[in-house]
Amino acid sequence: MKSTSELTDFYYKELYPSINELEETRKQIISQLKFYGGMGIVAFALAVLWMGKNFGLLHPLMIGIVIGFIAIASITYRFMTNGYAKDFKAKIITPLIHAIDPHLLYNPDFMISQHLFERSDLFKHSIDRYSGNDYVKGSIDGVPLEFSDVHAEYQTKNSKGNSEWHTLFRGLFLVAEFNKHFKAKTVILPDLAEKTFGNLIGGWLQSMNMSRGKVIQLDDPLFEKHFVVYGNDPIEARYILSHSMMKRIVDFQKKISHPLFISFVHNHIHVGIGTGKDLFEPAVFTSLLDYKQAMEYVNTLQNTIGLVEELKLNEKLWSKV
Amino acid sequence: MQIFLIILGVVALIAILIYNSLIGKKNQVENIFAGVDAVLKKRYDLIPNLVASVSQYMEHEKSTLEKVTEYRAQAMKPGISNDQKIALDAKLTSALGAINIAMEAYPDLKANENVMHLQRSLNEIEEQISAARRAYNQAVTDLNNAIEMFPTNIVAGWMNLQRRAVFEITVTERQNVDVNALFNR
Repeated sequence: MKSTSELTDFYYKELYPSINELEETRKQIISQLKFYGGMGIVAFALAVLWMGKNFGLLHPLMIGIVIGFIAIASITYRFMTNGYAKDFKAKIITPLIHAIDPHLLYNPDFMISQHLFERSDLFKHSIDRYSGNDYVKGSIDGVPLEFSDVHAEYQTKNSKGNSEWHTLFRGLFLVAEFNKHFKAKTVILPDLAEKTFGNLIGGWLQSMNMSRGKVIQLDDPLFEKHFVVYGNDPIEARYILSHSMMKRIVDFQKKISHPLFISFVHNHIHVGIGTGKDLFEPAVFTSLLDYKQAMEYVNTLQNTIGLVEELKLNEKLWSKV
Repeated sequence: MQIFLIILGVVALIAILIYNSLIGKKNQVENIFAGVDAVLKKRYDLIPNLVASVSQYMEHEKSTLEKVTEYRAQAMKPGISNDQKIALDAKLTSALGAINIAMEAYPDLKANENVMHLQRSLNEIEEQISAARRAYNQAVTDLNNAIEMFPTNIVAGWMNLQRRAVFEITVTERQNVDVNALFNR
């Protein structure tokens, strides 16, 4: 697998013609956006003035006008950047993924199946809306894996009877084959209770979580500080979470600085990285040549695909051939 | 009078809760020990095979191999206590570790498909045993804590619960491998 610096080199050298081309489109889009934005503001001001003269500024119709303008603005923005986003994925992200491994499949419009997401058992709430994009599938060092952006939401009704959408998980979701056989279910979640309430009360709160299995106390204090582990087989949980595995997970958590959700179900490892945003999307208002921007694309890919090496999923135990 | 009854009720309730939690912890220890026992048995089953396959090659390690067979026979005896099993497991682990290291010196052994397969299986079981040991140690620590801490220690005293032993890493496992000694044989 290529290192981060090699990939950054690839981004700036091999992809330079495509980046330049896209950069031109981006500048055009920005000038168009400025033009339409200016027109929109003028039209909005005129509408407000007209309303103020005829009905008064606090008329209920005002809300309609504001919402209408926001809707038109967001549709225009989508429409204008859509082609650019497609080009960006075809010309930048696809070659970048193939530079890591030419056998990886990439589909910008597809996502990891909802079945796999639910199988992970990481999120207990039922899902009412499931979407995603940027699906990658293949095998790294002989370890089959797939990942994509995922946005899972659920709906609630508030006291007025209006429905509200809540995000259950948004970020990168990865499923890979695990190198050990196991039958039970082991779930690792960020340790919010212990961080907020301290060791004693937090620990008690965790054990009170009825929807989960039993809390499994592990013998790595650093790991325990970051995570809480639920499972129905204490021996198997420790078989999976060997000392070295716990250390690797803690190291990975330190590297990514987003909430990390890991579960071991059905001989597979499921990893959710709660970035809270849609990854691999082109930035319209920052240059593609911007180093920070480039590093974000490269690092996200590198960290995700590198997880196989990071967690040593490629080190097959001898019995599992 | 009423206040007295309420206090008595609360104390009785607390005592019952403590009693139940102690029973739960004790059963957890026994439950996990059954798991430990299961993986230990898996290893016992492999040992005769291993000894038979390597003994013709390993002339110098005859005594270690005999020891391994003997420990296995002792551990397989019916009616030995959990503490004895734990002690035997420690000895067996260190003896097997010694064989494992010694095998490096025999190229013929490393070429033997059967022996290599056995060793892989042993390594795998070793991982499982290590996991089971850690699970057991955690359950025992929970129980031991409850037995010694206030106020659970009072109820544990009435119930006559005893502290249990944990698995310890054997001294040979802790020592670094002396590479020099390996070469100078």
